[in-house]
Amino acid sequence: MSLHRADTLGGRAAVAGIGATEFSKDSGRSELKLAVEAVHAALDDAGLRPQDVDGLVTFTMDTNPEITVAQAAGIGELSFFSRIHYGGGAACATVQQAALAVATGIAEVVVCYRAFNERSQHRFGTGLMSRQASAEGVAMGWTMPYGLLTPASWVALHAQRYLHSYGLTPDAFAPVAVADRFHAATNPAAYFYRRPITLADHAASRWIVEPLRLLDCCQETDGGQALVVTTPERARDLRHTPVVIAAAAQGAGRNQEAMTSFYRDGLTGLPEMGVVARQLWRTSGLTPADIDTAVLYDHFTPFVLMQLEEFGFCGPGEGADFAAGGRLQLGWDGAGGLPVNTHGGQLGEAYLHGMNGIAEAVRQLRGTAVNQVPGAQRVLVTAGTGVPTSGLVLGRE
Amino acid sequence: MTDTFQAYTGRPAAVGGRALDPVNAPMIRHWCEAMGDANAAYTGPGAVAPPAMLQSWTMGGLGNGTGPGSGATGRSAAYDELLGTLDAAGFTSVVATDCEQEYLRSLRPGQRVLYDSEIESVSAEKTTALGVGRFVTTRTDLRAYDEAAGEKPEEAVPVATHRFRILKFRPAAREVNEAAAGERALRPRPVVNRDNAGFWAGVAEGELRFQRCTDCGTARFPWLPGCNACGSDAWTAEPAGGAGTVYSYVVVHHPVPAAFRGSSPYAVALVELDEGVRMVSNVLGLPAAEVRIGLPVRLDFERCDEELTLPVFRPAGPDDLPPLRIPVTRTLIVAGAIASRDYQDVHHDVELAHAKGAPDIFMNILTSNGLVGRYVTDWAGPRARLTGISVRLGVPAHPGDELTFTGRVTGRDGPRLTVAVTGRTRRGAHATATVRLTLDDLTAEEQS
Repeated sequence: MSLHRADTLGGRAAVAGIGATEFSKDSGRSELKLAVEAVHAALDDAGLRPQDVDGLVTFTMDTNPEITVAQAAGIGELSFFSRIHYGGGAACATVQQAALAVATGIAEVVVCYRAFNERSQHRFGTGLMSRQASAEGVAMGWTMPYGLLTPASWVALHAQRYLHSYGLTPDAFAPVAVADRFHAATNPAAYFYRRPITLADHAASRWIVEPLRLLDCCQETDGGQALVVTTPERARDLRHTPVVIAAAAQGAGRNQEAMTSFYRDGLTGLPEMGVVARQLWRTSGLTPADIDTAVLYDHFTPFVLMQLEEFGFCGPGEGADFAAGGRLQLGWDGAGGLPVNTHGGQLGEAYLHGMNGIAEAVRQLRGTAVNQVPGAQRVLVTAGTGVPTSGLVLGRE
Repeated sequence: MTDTFQAYTGRPAAVGGRALDPVNAPMIRHWCEAMGDANAAYTGPGAVAPPAMLQSWTMGGLGNGTGPGSGATGRSAAYDELLGTLDAAGFTSVVATDCEQEYLRSLRPGQRVLYDSEIESVSAEKTTALGVGRFVTTRTDLRAYDEAAGEKPEEAVPVATHRFRILKFRPAAREVNEAAAGERALRPRPVVNRDNAGFWAGVAEGELRFQRCTDCGTARFPWLPGCNACGSDAWTAEPAGGAGTVYSYVVVHHPVPAAFRGSSPYAVALVELDEGVRMVSNVLGLPAAEVRIGLPVRLDFERCDEELTLPVFRPAGPDDLPPLRIPVTRTLIVAGAIASRDYQDVHHDVELAHAKGAPDIFMNILTSNGLVGRYVTDWAGPRARLTGISVRLGVPAHPGDELTFTGRVTGRDGPRLTVAVTGRTRRGAHATATVRLTLDDLTAEEQS
């Protein structure tokens, strides 16, 4: 009944560790090796050992099974293992799964992970060429013969309607790209460290799929990211200040499809993210004004504007105005505004299917981010957009 | 090495040709019956011959010049030699590929047609879907005089020009065709299973079908076994009327899969049908940069390769001709061939068609040309006068096919119109034609 009523998960689990590999175009090692390295790094960060782990969660798209990661990472018996579907929409839901397990005593230490060679091996951006005749395959099969094959093209079909509906031009997306790259420029872990861009750079970049330009698209990446979730009680005894999961939610809309929800409503919003937003606000008891910084899933810029609208930071169609003029950048000192994707996002830091964004939220709440929002107490994080998705509100105790 | 076939360029194909029969009402009537053309301009006092019937007057008939009418067709020794040399080179099969006719004056009963023809070109060897061969193009100038009124041949005036292209070819083995297809870059295939097979069955029959919930009446697309509005699993399939509007679109620049490189960048559109459902498709017939949200579009079918035909959309407008569907019966093929005096065996004899590599008899180009003319004049009415038809043939039309003609006015200059016509079967475009006509009152010509 959580579509209609606050749930009771808030405050009953915490993120105690984060760890990642380097982000690169060619990792030079297997996806399994990346996963194991990330899990170890997150456990080290928490001050835990592999034998402390009794749960693992990842994405259905991940090629590294929980049991194999356990095998190779020195993890023993598992009482909880789970995978979430729908690509990047799984990111925050892995933490929700871990929190559910921890809050109910199903497991005590759950590691969430995602690792891939998405740049050097299987690039999503090269596009589909065939699908099995399953229900999912059939859904994609309606668009494939016409050449709508890539994530950029699926997002662009929504974005074009959004621009049309609100009388905007593709320049409306530029402030999102500029903010991401502004933050990445001062993040040594970021792909685009010391390489900020301007609005003019965005306008001059080549078309990928109109109305999306190159600089509207994320940086495909090799790498791994892991997060350690445990009870707040146990987290207090570990190395870092606990980051509490104030609310966690999944969402799918009516007539939802995975990336091809073209057949419903006006294509100007993200109804599934609206489902997530309503739950997060209700369970956390917070409002947009209470959020100090947000990590909004940014594989492509247009959906960042729609997320600002779905979460109520601004009204429908007002995302472009809300983002313009540097209002998404750290240091904005005018009225309104919200620092978004302070690590550089998936356009600037790395495309890790949203998991690196959760780690950034943890750093902000620990006070250790390279682009620290002073005194950040509450951070909103979202997962993949245009797909069934998930979100988190994280906070300090 | 020089191509010896080039020596035929410019040589006569027919000299002093004389139609076996004067233009006459019975042949016109037989032709109109075969084509299903009920245009009033072709009957009664003051009737003219259907312009698209032009070539019928100069055909050699059964035996092609060896029978009682021998010599009347005026075919030259050079042309016979060319065809013989092509036969000797193994290019024994023949198929007409293009027909371009310009009609200067209407032909009327009582006139005798005279003609001269020249070999315009012989192509280098080409590899085609049918096999390796050479295209032979001839150009014919036709004149006529009113024999019934006592005019002399010297008084003949130009009535038409006619450019005709045939392919003389060696039929390719079926396996070779399939191997060649495998090497081509093909579009991604549709994904078909039990839940959406009805949609693709509809496409094969030239229909775009959506579903409608039997219980709550909600129209839906894409196909699903149940209704999202009410949960009912009872539904019926309905054919879309074909009218729609672009709801959104993208222009793909990168990456462009090999199958789409010929038209890069390319547009993909989300089309909202008038029935209220949306589908992703391509908008063809205008540059990708000109696709816009709100653009009215009309359903068409595009044959992408031998296995794939897709419902697509083209810009709609008041200049669209209503489609015309013609079942391709064995009778139509044979009657059309005979009424146009075309006795090539592949148009009436199944066994000989098989022997020449065809799966069945197929429609002759004179019939295709006649149907194109009929389609446009059915729309334009009996006062319209055809001034030219150019037809290019694609896939053959066999018994059991259905030809769907669509057309659109692509040019207007006062009373003169240009109409683009496509006649498709489920395997793709059979005839792609440009038709020129004038809406001038016929009396102007009659009075001159």
